[in-house]
Amino acid sequence: MSEQNLKVDVTDLIKDYGNNHVLKGLNLQVKNNEVVCMIGPSGSGKSTFLRCLNKLEDPTAGQIVIDGHDISNKNTNMNHVREKIGMVFQHFNLFPNLTVLENITLAPIELKKMTKQKAEATAHDLLKNVGLDEKANAYPASLSGGQEQRVAIARALEMQPDIMLFDEPTSALDPEMVGDVLDVMKNLAKQGMTMIVVTHEMGFAKEVADRVVFMADGHIMEEGRPADLFDHPKNPRTQDFLRKVLNA
Amino acid sequence: MRKRLLCLGTVLLACLSFFTFFSTKTQAAEKTYTIGTDITYAPFDFQDSNGHYTGIDIDLIKAIAKEEGFKVKLKPVGFNAAVQAVEANQMDGVIAGMTITNARKQQFDFSDPYYYAGEVMAVKQGSSIKSLEDLRGKKVALKVGTLGASYANSIKKKYGFTTTEFDQSNDMYNDVTSGNSAAAFEDYPVMAYGIRNGMKMKIVTKPKAGGSYGFAVKKGENQELLTKFNTGLSHLKKNGQYDKIVAKYLGKSAQAKEKKAATSNDGLLSLVKQNKSSLLSGLGQTLYLTFISIILATILGVIVGLMQVMPVKWVNWLSSIIIYIFRGMPLLVLALFIYIGVPNLTGSKISAFVAGIITLTLNEGAYTAAFVSGGIKAVDPGQMEAARSLGLPYGKAMRRVILPQGVKIMVPSFINQFIITLKDTSILSVIGILELTQTGKIIIARNLQGFKVWTIIAIMYIVIITLLTWLSKFVERRIND
Ligand SMILES: Nc1ncnc2c1ncn2[C@@H]1O[C@H](COP(=O)(O)OP(=O)(O)OP(=O)(O)O)[C@@H](O)[C@H]1O
Ligand SMILES: [Mg+2]
Repeated sequence: MSEQNLKVDVTDLIKDYGNNHVLKGLNLQVKNNEVVCMIGPSGSGKSTFLRCLNKLEDPTAGQIVIDGHDISNKNTNMNHVREKIGMVFQHFNLFPNLTVLENITLAPIELKKMTKQKAEATAHDLLKNVGLDEKANAYPASLSGGQEQRVAIARALEMQPDIMLFDEPTSALDPEMVGDVLDVMKNLAKQGMTMIVVTHEMGFAKEVADRVVFMADGHIMEEGRPADLFDHPKNPRTQDFLRKVLNA
Repeated sequence: MRKRLLCLGTVLLACLSFFTFFSTKTQAAEKTYTIGTDITYAPFDFQDSNGHYTGIDIDLIKAIAKEEGFKVKLKPVGFNAAVQAVEANQMDGVIAGMTITNARKQQFDFSDPYYYAGEVMAVKQGSSIKSLEDLRGKKVALKVGTLGASYANSIKKKYGFTTTEFDQSNDMYNDVTSGNSAAAFEDYPVMAYGIRNGMKMKIVTKPKAGGSYGFAVKKGENQELLTKFNTGLSHLKKNGQYDKIVAKYLGKSAQAKEKKAATSNDGLLSLVKQNKSSLLSGLGQTLYLTFISIILATILGVIVGLMQVMPVKWVNWLSSIIIYIFRGMPLLVLALFIYIGVPNLTGSKISAFVAGIITLTLNEGAYTAAFVSGGIKAVDPGQMEAARSLGLPYGKAMRRVILPQGVKIMVPSFINQFIITLKDTSILSVIGILELTQTGKIIIARNLQGFKVWTIIAIMYIVIITLLTWLSKFVERRIND
């Protein structure tokens, strides 16, 4: 496995909020085309980790290299790196003042990555892929949660990212809408997108993930192929966590 | 970020040069002196029914200027504003029925006295009070800073009365005619003039403890002007012109003419008609002040509000200090500080109008900044994160995503602030700006019809505030669509 093939390379990542030590020295490597699912109890630092990867949070210490860019280096242009990292949030965060189409095309047009025509054509294609092209001119307020999240995914994809980060993309949704969003993500995985997905959807993790990472107390406790980790967890914390979520 | 700061600097610089442009304009010209006068001190300084400033002081300084060959630019700004402006080097001299006292000599150089005036006590017509002894346990109305006031204060223990002080002569008179106060103390000619012109009061004591009026310049400055005044005055006294001027206002023939203008039976409408041009120009000045201040305060407020939320610590800090200071300072204090204080510190004059604009811009701008930053902070932080995660730089994210949402939250506060700005212009009457409120004071000083004139002024404010509200609501609807 060559170094070039690494999309994400995290070394000894530490994040403190004052006296609250949230990430206590994390190491994780993600290869091209790999789908990594992160699971773990609430407050274990999963979101914080994901947000460090595109510097929505400033790491306290450690090194993060994304696609060959050392983002822990102050001189790295974060805006350029972020263009290549798509992020999908638990609460969608669509821009309510813009239509669905404008939500998707805002960044590429503002950043002069595409002409308006090109951006809109790409956006319509993406909307077709997520089954929402008829909503192109609607405002986010008129969409259901599941529709909003699919638009948010399309918005991230429009920038043609190399990596997609998902932070519990389905936990704010009504159960009947979860499926549509997961289907979009499965398709994406099939097309070879490199993805890090924080999720409580164990079924999805089992089916789609190449690797599952279990986090607790700011540490990665255990990682492995889904079949191994789910069926034969080694760490007692993992065993305990899986017992709780699978019996719930 | 750098670019934004640069941009901000440029705007501030532009504002500054705008102000200095105006301020230097007043310094030019040779042998023209700027003289401050009172506006509500008939028969020395007041506005006649045609809206012209007139009175013994005005005629005298004009005659002396003609005699001695210099020009005067009269600034009818009111006694306090005039005195302070001379102290601050904003004006060259003051002639405002100003009594020569030892305390004032610490700050000013006085001319030879040009009028002797004793203090008298006056009561409401038909009052039973006939002497100082009758004042025991009663309340007495005085005008701030006058010799009448210090005289009354010096004898109030002995005669056992209490005092209330007013800024305007007319308010003092009204307090007596309405029965609130038992008596007022005032210079004899002033009181006599008022009574002759229809004020329902009578003088019950002989002129006492009087002082002499003098023309004043700042101590140690404008000495040649002082000399010219003295020479001119002695010429006028010799050639009889001085007596003519005094007789014009206090002689028998003067009474009949002015009496007509001051009958207190005028209806509201005829009052409006009589004072149409002053009222309109006061209104115009108020609207002009409001309009410019709203624009500048909005620019300043948006900049300082954005500084408040920028992810740069020292900029947040700077913004907080600006908001803290200018929101915390009473508008009146800020206005006086800028008009009187700043020229004392920097040595360059600024016109009252510019001082007024700066005052309103800073004060209203600080309030605007507070609700602008509040509006931005009220936008879900997830919006900024989503925008940044797409690679949008801070400025673009702010402009395209955060501000459009924040502005909707801010619109009602903006409308509110515009209305407050309009009302706050009235406070600028203290530095002598001839806006609507000041216009009201001046009209009342002439016709002594306080209640009716204030009614007219109040209605005018309500009407323009209503119009401003409508306009704002219209704009609000446009924004929300
Ligand atoms: N901005 C912040 N300031 C201070 N503490 C924070 C901040 N953000 C997160 N934390 C703390 O960091 C810890 C980890 O939070 P994080 O959101 O990463 O957990 P999580 O694993 O994503 O949990 P969940 O499953 O509930 O989303 C928590 O104790 C939280 O209180
Ligand atoms: Mg989380």
